[in-house]
Amino acid sequence: MEYSIKVVIAVAGICLAIFSGGVYADTAAGNAVLPPAAGFYSNNAQFLRSGQLNSSSYLLAANDGNPAQSQAGVTPDAQAMKFEPPLISERKVHQYLGLGTVLFAGLTMLAAPGESEGAVQTAPRQTSGTTHTRLARTTAALAAATVITGLLFHWNDFHLDDGFSDPDNQHVMLAGTGAMLMLYAVNKSAKSSVPTSHAGIAELGAALMLVGIKLTW
Amino acid sequence: MHRKWKITALLALVLSMGCGGAGAAEFSLNNNDFLNWLFDFQRTNGVKPVTDKQYQEECGACHFAYQPGLLPAKSWEALLTDRALRDHFGVNAELDDDTLKVIRDYAISNSAEKSWYKRSRKIAAATEHGPTPLRITGLRYIVRTHHDIPEKMITGNKDVKSLSFCDKCHTQAAKGIYDADTVNIPHYPNWDGWFNKP
Repeated sequence: MEYSIKVVIAVAGICLAIFSGGVYADTAAGNAVLPPAAGFYSNNAQFLRSGQLNSSSYLLAANDGNPAQSQAGVTPDAQAMKFEPPLISERKVHQYLGLGTVLFAGLTMLAAPGESEGAVQTAPRQTSGTTHTRLARTTAALAAATVITGLLFHWNDFHLDDGFSDPDNQHVMLAGTGAMLMLYAVNKSAKSSVPTSHAGIAELGAALMLVGIKLTW
Repeated sequence: MHRKWKITALLALVLSMGCGGAGAAEFSLNNNDFLNWLFDFQRTNGVKPVTDKQYQEECGACHFAYQPGLLPAKSWEALLTDRALRDHFGVNAELDDDTLKVIRDYAISNSAEKSWYKRSRKIAAATEHGPTPLRITGLRYIVRTHHDIPEKMITGNKDVKSLSFCDKCHTQAAKGIYDADTVNIPHYPNWDGWFNKP
């Protein structure tokens, strides 16, 4: 009982930390010291329309060979204001699954049964039905789902010819390897009737996944 | 007892990262330093937003003020000279010496290879070798990420006309956010739907 309370407190703490960081970051990004672009264009448009300036010297410097005709001052600002990015999308599903995997990996680690030194094992090793095994299986399922959704929805972001310095390639390699290591650790432990060292492999996998997420966060 | 310490340490670590990252969020807008990036929970998968008022005013007076992180320093060095600005993609965009220096210094010090933002790092990696790119729309990375989008949605779209007008479709371009979820192509609300894929 006491143990499950600890787990709940841990989850609550992690969620609070993530949300506090996320919410503050959003606010900070919104308050960046820059004027709203739409306002700039609108003011500029009024200035141009008033005819105070020779418009030939105020042509749009389009960044291609085909400057569009006087697009300055016409931004889809109203449309942009109306547009709300979707709460759930293919890419966000991958993102949430990845974050969920790391969170569950942490919880699995916390729920690991303690090692009592010198104790002789009498009962057979439990490979299912405990909090640790349930969390581990959930983590493994989330890791597999993350890899599958990543391959499905971010396939175009991965290009071998960009080399290892490309952040998306690093993300695929590190997070993919991390997921595989976690799956291997769960599989290794589930098939063993005697205590087997799998924690290190799983923790390394979670760490690799975390680094992979950070690289493209 | 042992587990209690583990839980406490982990919570302390996560909480400190959350608070530290949040606190660093605003600070990181002015710093490209690795540690700020590492402990920053703010999403940095786009490019660093423009923070220099003069850059925003001067460049944004004629076109979308492209973030310096969209091109490597060698490109800004080539684009932001007196001579180059006299013929800035077919337009005379000359600036006085002082303004040019401020804008040039800002662009170079925030160029792709000096940024920790993901898209800047991708651009920096892709332009490290080879000729100096002068057009953002000519970058291999930009071309590749847009090649799936049918012509009718860009050049054939009266409210877009060219890839150069980033902010026509990227609704949060001014914040340096260019991910697909924030794209809204005028007249094609379901642009990313399966039936629109060529």
